[in-house]
Amino acid sequence: MWPTLKRGVAAGGLVGVVYGLFTAVVVHPLTASLAEIAHHGGHGHDAGAHSHAVSETTTAVVSVGSGVLWGIFLGAALGLAYYFLEPAVPGSSATRPYVLAGAGFLTVSVGPWLALPPVAPGMEHQLAASTRLVLYAGLMLAGAVLAVLGTALYRRAGDRRRGVAAGLAPIVAAVAVVPLLTPTVVTAGGLSTDLVAAYRGLVVFGQAGLWFGLATAFRWLGPAPTNLDLTPHETQI
Amino acid sequence: MSQTETVHDRIEQARTELTPTQIAVGLALAASLGFVLMFLQDPMVHDAMHTFRHGAGITCH
Ligand SMILES: [Zn+2]
Repeated sequence: MWPTLKRGVAAGGLVGVVYGLFTAVVVHPLTASLAEIAHHGGHGHDAGAHSHAVSETTTAVVSVGSGVLWGIFLGAALGLAYYFLEPAVPGSSATRPYVLAGAGFLTVSVGPWLALPPVAPGMEHQLAASTRLVLYAGLMLAGAVLAVLGTALYRRAGDRRRGVAAGLAPIVAAVAVVPLLTPTVVTAGGLSTDLVAAYRGLVVFGQAGLWFGLATAFRWLGPAPTNLDLTPHETQI
Repeated sequence: MSQTETVHDRIEQARTELTPTQIAVGLALAASLGFVLMFLQDPMVHDAMHTFRHGAGITCH
């Protein structure tokens, strides 16, 4: 277990540094300037927004640090999940980390976004933070259920191509339909629709890229794939 | 090394490898890191961590 967990943490550290830099260089400045454009005080917790006394260095360090920790946290989660769930994850030892990372992305990000889409600070949430906390947890569970359902449908389909289509179907359907059914819970706070869409695109890109990077690093740090992988149902340790 | 390993085997394997204390400490560390990054409410977190949350799409704060 330790080797797998350590591999996850190492992958998280590597990818976390890249993600941390991405956060500091791209996401943080953009988020901060959107917060400036949006109505001040809309989000209810930008009391410190005007006190730019905080040094740029501190901001950069916290920005990078949060990103690195986020990478390590998710990397550790991926490593642990891989250790325990590997026998149940479809694919070869080369593709399994990606399948599992996809499930992680669904659980941690996509699920919650179905009803609580990413927002820039300054955009107002119509639900109280405590309500959102409960909703967020429930949506993470929904994301995990989608991942399990997709895996089950993949296995039932028999052959690989039909399986991939069957497995992805409920996920695509949920992503396409659920946001239309759930009420809008944010107000734009003076930001244009395009700007909000662009910001959401950046957030989705960042998290998807993070998971993809984690799976790639995790696989790269692991044992080289062997011929055993050519036959299904064989797991190596 | 068996070729028909199951999730259950992995759980059993972990239980023989780890002491309850190790499991407790590990879970506590992971939970607190996750809590600080995702849920710790704002007055206590730095501005830059707040924008990190927005950038990561963590919408429950
Ligand atoms: Zn916020």
